[in-house]
Amino acid sequence: MSRIARMALCALLWSGVTAAAGAQEITVGLGSEPTTLDPQAQEDGSERAVNDNIYETLMVRTADGSLAPGLAAAVPTAVDATTWLVKLRPGIKFHDGSAFNADTVAFSINRIINPKFKSAQLSFFNTIANASKVDDLTVKIITKGPDPLVPVRLYWMKMVPEAYAASDKFAAAPIGTGPYKFVAWNRGSNITIAANPDYWGAKPQIQKATYRFVPESGTLLAGLMAGELDLVPNLLPEFIGQVPKSAHIQSVLHPVLILNADGGITKDPRVRQALNYAIDKEALTKALFEGYGKIDQGQLLSSDDFGFDKTTTAYPYDPAKAKKLLAEAGAANGTLQIVGTSGRWLKDRETVEAVAAFWEQAGLHVDLKILEWNEYLKRLWDRQSRPDAIYVASKDPLLDPDRPFSTYYQAGGMGASNTDPKLAELVTKARTEINNEERAKLYRESIRIAHDQAYLAWLLTYEDLYGLSQRLTFSPRPDGKMLVSTMSVAK
Amino acid sequence: MAADNQANWAARRRIAAGWAHHLWHDKAGLFGLAIVVLLIVVAAAAPLLAPYDPAAQALRDRLLPPAWLAGGQLAHLLGTDQLGRDVLSRLIFGSRVSLVVGAGVVLLAGAFGTALGMLAGYCGGRVDDFVMRWVDTQVAFPGLLLALVILVVVGANVPSLIIVLSLNGWMVYARMARGSVLGLRQLPYVEAAQMIGCRGRRVIFRHILPNLTSPLLTLSILEFARIILAEAALSFLGMGVQPPGSSWGLDVAIGKDYMFRAWWLVTFPGAAIALTVLGVNLLASWLRVVTDPREREKQFARRMARKRHAEPVPAAAASVEARP
Amino acid sequence: MGRYLLNRLWHGAIVIFGVTAIVFVVTRLVGDPVGVMLPIEATAEQRASFAHELGFDRPIIEQFGSFVADVAHLDFGDSLWQRRPAMDIVFEKLPATLELTLVGVGLAALLAVPLGIMAALRPGRLADQATVFMSLLGLSVPQFWLGLILVYIFAVRLHWLPTSGVGTPAHLVMPAITMALPALARLVMTVRSAMIEELNQQYVKVARAKGLPALRVVGAHALRNAAVPVLTMTGWEIIRALAGYSVVVETVFAWPGLGLTAVQAITRHDLFLLQAVVFTVAVMVVFTNVLLDAMYQMADPRMKMR
Repeated sequence: MSRIARMALCALLWSGVTAAAGAQEITVGLGSEPTTLDPQAQEDGSERAVNDNIYETLMVRTADGSLAPGLAAAVPTAVDATTWLVKLRPGIKFHDGSAFNADTVAFSINRIINPKFKSAQLSFFNTIANASKVDDLTVKIITKGPDPLVPVRLYWMKMVPEAYAASDKFAAAPIGTGPYKFVAWNRGSNITIAANPDYWGAKPQIQKATYRFVPESGTLLAGLMAGELDLVPNLLPEFIGQVPKSAHIQSVLHPVLILNADGGITKDPRVRQALNYAIDKEALTKALFEGYGKIDQGQLLSSDDFGFDKTTTAYPYDPAKAKKLLAEAGAANGTLQIVGTSGRWLKDRETVEAVAAFWEQAGLHVDLKILEWNEYLKRLWDRQSRPDAIYVASKDPLLDPDRPFSTYYQAGGMGASNTDPKLAELVTKARTEINNEERAKLYRESIRIAHDQAYLAWLLTYEDLYGLSQRLTFSPRPDGKMLVSTMSVAK
Repeated sequence: MAADNQANWAARRRIAAGWAHHLWHDKAGLFGLAIVVLLIVVAAAAPLLAPYDPAAQALRDRLLPPAWLAGGQLAHLLGTDQLGRDVLSRLIFGSRVSLVVGAGVVLLAGAFGTALGMLAGYCGGRVDDFVMRWVDTQVAFPGLLLALVILVVVGANVPSLIIVLSLNGWMVYARMARGSVLGLRQLPYVEAAQMIGCRGRRVIFRHILPNLTSPLLTLSILEFARIILAEAALSFLGMGVQPPGSSWGLDVAIGKDYMFRAWWLVTFPGAAIALTVLGVNLLASWLRVVTDPREREKQFARRMARKRHAEPVPAAAASVEARP
Repeated sequence: MGRYLLNRLWHGAIVIFGVTAIVFVVTRLVGDPVGVMLPIEATAEQRASFAHELGFDRPIIEQFGSFVADVAHLDFGDSLWQRRPAMDIVFEKLPATLELTLVGVGLAALLAVPLGIMAALRPGRLADQATVFMSLLGLSVPQFWLGLILVYIFAVRLHWLPTSGVGTPAHLVMPAITMALPALARLVMTVRSAMIEELNQQYVKVARAKGLPALRVVGAHALRNAAVPVLTMTGWEIIRALAGYSVVVETVFAWPGLGLTAVQAITRHDLFLLQAVVFTVAVMVVFTNVLLDAMYQMADPRMKMR
């Protein structure tokens, strides 16, 4: 073919692309290319965005966020403190025709918990000791200790086909049980998936989805505005007015500042309370996030979350009281160090800068340090010397208090800045309490202690924003999954 | 001695007057000089000129457009950014980073490169071999890429930017200095100076260095322009000056996220970079002309030719003369 | 000539070794990648066990030893994130970078020659001054800024071109122009001064005095001699682009080349992939340099051999 003919053909193909894909096709813009399509290897949001449609999990979150059986036939049952039985749905096949059964489930679980597999997701599952087949449709899971979270964890673990997972093509051309089949991966450019005609559940409306990788957020937005893209996640609130359509939902991220209760100016609880009173959370939400957020009611949880305590509410914005408390503690005009980082979480730097400004207004001298990620992590994990205040966005994809509380409330947790024995005991107890009623009670009690002692400066929970093309209908989900099967296009 | 000095001064004054005269005729050069002077004044007097503290945020006044647009306020002439900070004030203070990084790198890399280049050219032999090998090796390094990696390690701030960019940029000076010294060493007066027993240091500082000043000056200014762009590029990639510090490059990088909502965040610092670099480049090209006798002659001839254009001169002859 | 080239290649090998060693040291200083790969809530024990499985808890000397041994047969290990050989990824991304670089710089060279000649024929006149001024302007505009503004005008406002990505010639237009502009500016200046130089040579004056038309003189004589500096500068532009400036353009336009890969490897602390990328870029820069030298030698035998 002559070069001119080839160019003409390309131009023709391009004109096809600009016609914003066919009626039942959509294009999704991602900020980065998935590093792999092995669903068990990395902690990678772009990988999840694609694989959430190809693979499925034993448990799922429904549209309102509650836990329900997915590939499992029913909610797993605890036989004793460390043994769980999972019944599986019959008659499900992987895209390559191989059967989904107890063998594949046991394989999937044992694969991800094997340290040699080096899964970056292991920290979600390492309470599990092993899994084995009971019969073709029943799996037994043994945990290292009592673990009430097994059903929750199973919502985060994707099931992979045993035979194919050994193939070296597995990470590049995935095969799952989901409503969409993998079609092609043009490295550096896009990934295509298409509806699975043999899917066991409801048939999706959208027949084909293409994921394009665009690292520059401005360019990504330009694509949405130019009609090349139908869906762009992680939209900045400023652009709600610019994009054709938008959708939003409560995020799983809770930006907070961890206050050092063991030393320095923040050792006095009155200072920590004053710091909470000094922050105008309402203004922060309105101004920085354009109102797309809710004030964190002082608990590191959202109001729909398990364990949420209705009796605890956010410290109100009261600068006079803040100044008074600081004066009482002899900390007026004191100096306070804040450590933050930049570019990791939505408006992380701006949030810290705004908080610093509020604290300066309360009369403190703020020494603000924005550190590069690895430097920041060193400070966050340094158990010897804690910064007066360190910013972090607590993330809880499992939608359960255990992980954030163990990390930021419990003494000795990776990010905790207190040595409160009572609080630590409550969190430890909750971790092994099988009875959900009891467990929720323990969490509510921990929340009250943490709040009264002001171990953190709570800010808000912002909302995840999605930019949509005019023709796309999509209701964001509390678990953040972008399930194409729940979307539809007009026309 | 005194008379000698006086003659010297007179000569210098004549040269200066010549430059001034030339500058007046070279409007582009004048424009460049004006921009550079403006930049220096603005950077030096930033606290006096800036209407606000560049870090002072007013969350309720965020993303205000420039004053002449609907919704803009006279108090914020060029609008405000995503934290309600005054864009004009940030622009004024940002000039300091460009200037400090640019000047710092030019001084550091220039001093180091020139010294090594002169040493290589003057000593020759093994020293020359070694230095030029080193230069060749470093020139072949993927500069910007390594700079990115190194900045991640040492942490991006103004001093580390200066050091990393200097490590990347001293080789041009070394090559130029060596080349000039090699040429100068064969000139009769340098040979004479050596012959009558002038010591090496004296030869270098009295006879060679003065001859290097004008090419060095031109090169430094061109490098200055390049460094400003490099700093901006590194900041754009997130490996330059870090917040809460401020620089034009960083402001473009942050503003790009808001490009479709607030075009002024990207446009003004970007234009400031472009204008500054343009001014510096214009100044450099003017300087190259005035300090190079050959170029000066050419310009003179061109002017003469234009003057004579009214007279009936054969066209071909005139145009040949115009290019001596 | 042969000995000279051999000498250059030997020198190139030293450069590549130097870069490799520096990259190893620097990437290890970046810190182990565990902090970036695991969720921030993972416990200390989980981190330690992960680092152990990746081999990052071994003494640094031991790591360097096995690194050098592997590099000796071009094995850069597996990318930490993608879990496949780092060199495979590099070879996958290389064509895109080469395409962008060659088209961008080629475009610049093609445009620079006529523009530069036009300016050189009448130095000091309006066309010349305009060319010089535009070149200076082109040199002064930051590339990333130009790219963003092009996207805004031609993709978002006018819908003439796609915003980013690859696939069709239309995708290449804006990245290539962004890549070309500063190179074009520098090349125009080079062509112009080389041509002015040549046009002032005695032989050209003689030819013109004999009444040969200006264009023939330019075409037949001057251009050939001016070709050497122009080719050299074009080579330099390619090196510049490869050595890092493609990073900026690739980032703005989501162009899946080595530059973008390098930036991602840096942010993800994918040390093995980063080493492979920097190594490859160094090899290409060295190779272009040698090629340039050889061309220089062939074009101008008077050049003193070093």
